[in-house]
Amino acid sequence: MSFEFMQAFKFIQMKTIIHNLDPRTKLLLAIIYSILAIMFEEIFILFFIFLTLFPFIFAGQLFKKWIKSIRGMAFLFLLLIIFNTLFSTFSKSISMIIRIMIMVSSFSLFFLTVHPDDLMLSLISLKVPYNIAFSFSLSFRFVPTIAIEAQNIIDAQKSRGYEMEQGGLISQAKNLIPLLIPLIVCSMKRAFHIAEALDSRAFGSTKNRTYYYSISYTKKDWLITVILIIFFIFGIIVKVFPVLLPDWLFWRFPV
Amino acid sequence: MEKKLENLQILVNHLTYHYPDGTIALKGINLNIYSGEIVGIMGKNGAGKSTLIKTFNGLLKPTTGTVYIENDEVNNVLMSKLTRKVGIVFQNPDLQLFANTVEDEIRFSLKNLNFTKTELENQINLTLEKFKLKKFQNRTPFTLSGGEKKRLAIASIMCRNPEIIVFDEPTIGQDAEGVEFIRNLIKEKHSEGKTIIIVTHDIEFAIDNIPRTILMADGLIIADGPTNKILSQDQILNIGSLISPQLIILSKFLIDSGIKVPDDVYLKENMIQFLGSFFKEKMEISEGGKF
Repeated sequence: MSFEFMQAFKFIQMKTIIHNLDPRTKLLLAIIYSILAIMFEEIFILFFIFLTLFPFIFAGQLFKKWIKSIRGMAFLFLLLIIFNTLFSTFSKSISMIIRIMIMVSSFSLFFLTVHPDDLMLSLISLKVPYNIAFSFSLSFRFVPTIAIEAQNIIDAQKSRGYEMEQGGLISQAKNLIPLLIPLIVCSMKRAFHIAEALDSRAFGSTKNRTYYYSISYTKKDWLITVILIIFFIFGIIVKVFPVLLPDWLFWRFPV
Repeated sequence: MEKKLENLQILVNHLTYHYPDGTIALKGINLNIYSGEIVGIMGKNGAGKSTLIKTFNGLLKPTTGTVYIENDEVNNVLMSKLTRKVGIVFQNPDLQLFANTVEDEIRFSLKNLNFTKTELENQINLTLEKFKLKKFQNRTPFTLSGGEKKRLAIASIMCRNPEIIVFDEPTIGQDAEGVEFIRNLIKEKHSEGKTIIIVTHDIEFAIDNIPRTILMADGLIIADGPTNKILSQDQILNIGSLISPQLIILSKFLIDSGIKVPDDVYLKENMIQFLGSFFKEKMEISEGGKF
């Protein structure tokens, strides 16, 4: 087992237009794209929305990582096709897959390019309480640490003869116990250590804290925000007045 | 045992290892370890020590180069066979304890070794007694103290009776009793003819217990030889971010002060003996016994 797929959600410091954007712009992008994805179920329209994400992905030099995260979901896509075709239509399964790809891509665009500290600041600017914002960003900060630890646990257990067994679902689940229990125990221990470290540094001793770093909107942010909002309004208009669109956009598979 | 070709147990040739993220951890390692040796591996954090030992039991496959464990090339052997020959005791016991009872923890390690039921129970009992864990037999491992957990983690590897035993930082976080236990265990396993490899930063432990040391820096072996020689050369120590053990500093000071000292005073007993006879001699010279 490898934890390489975790890399697909790990922030790496880079200097691209997308990385330099304000986290709130990127959050808005993720939210608008998700709403649009839920609003439509026509394959071509969803596909068109999906295509408009690519400029952002390429501008942020994220193509390789994005491919990884999509590849990680291949199994889910397969399930979606099977179950939707069985209980609904094939067309629906395809639109469902594109819909999920839009949501995952837009949110991974956010998590891949927002530094955990900025993530916290953007949550606070949305009036999320500091405690909650801090624990949220802390949990993201620890994803790579836990991935490393999981690898160490696998190494330690393999060294004493543990084998990844193939077999039925139950035996496979049982087989995970030697990995999951140490992982949970270590994570709990670390959580207590962090809590102690926070307490010893007087976390939460004052109600209104100040911030050393701040995030600010630039011209580029405003530009992208305006484009996003126009795009969103256009989406709503088209949804309300579908006659505005050519017929072929509403094509679906016959099955 | 002598350093003869037929006693060669680990042979590493031009070994390199690249991690998937592009980090080059080993840059061409050549190493011979003979049967029955006690070998220390020292070096800064990130020097490649852990990566090197993980290639011995197949956890990591060499990127280029070869590693032979007793005539078997690690790339061509199943990991289950390698872990039987090479037992690695990891630094943090919390990474491997999971079972309901201490006994089950040992049982898990013996699972794939084809023991009959009575043999299995015997082996578990023997191990528990040897590692002074019998009284905890039915307790959950999570309520043990740090030292007891470490003992259990070591026991869970030792019960598999590997020919080559690798300790990763065995003395870290251990109290005097724990260190003494590990010291005795190493002596015992050495007398049984096992090969022992110890990754450590603990120079005082190394000078007392490890005859041969390999010093690594930046993915390469920069020194390989008797521990006392390596830990007394300033240039090597600087590269490895190490400081000399106290007795080597003392013996250097004595030599600089013009006092003739034997070669082996870096060992505690020898230094005590030397200083004892040295002062006795001095006392006899000055006023027939009065200091």
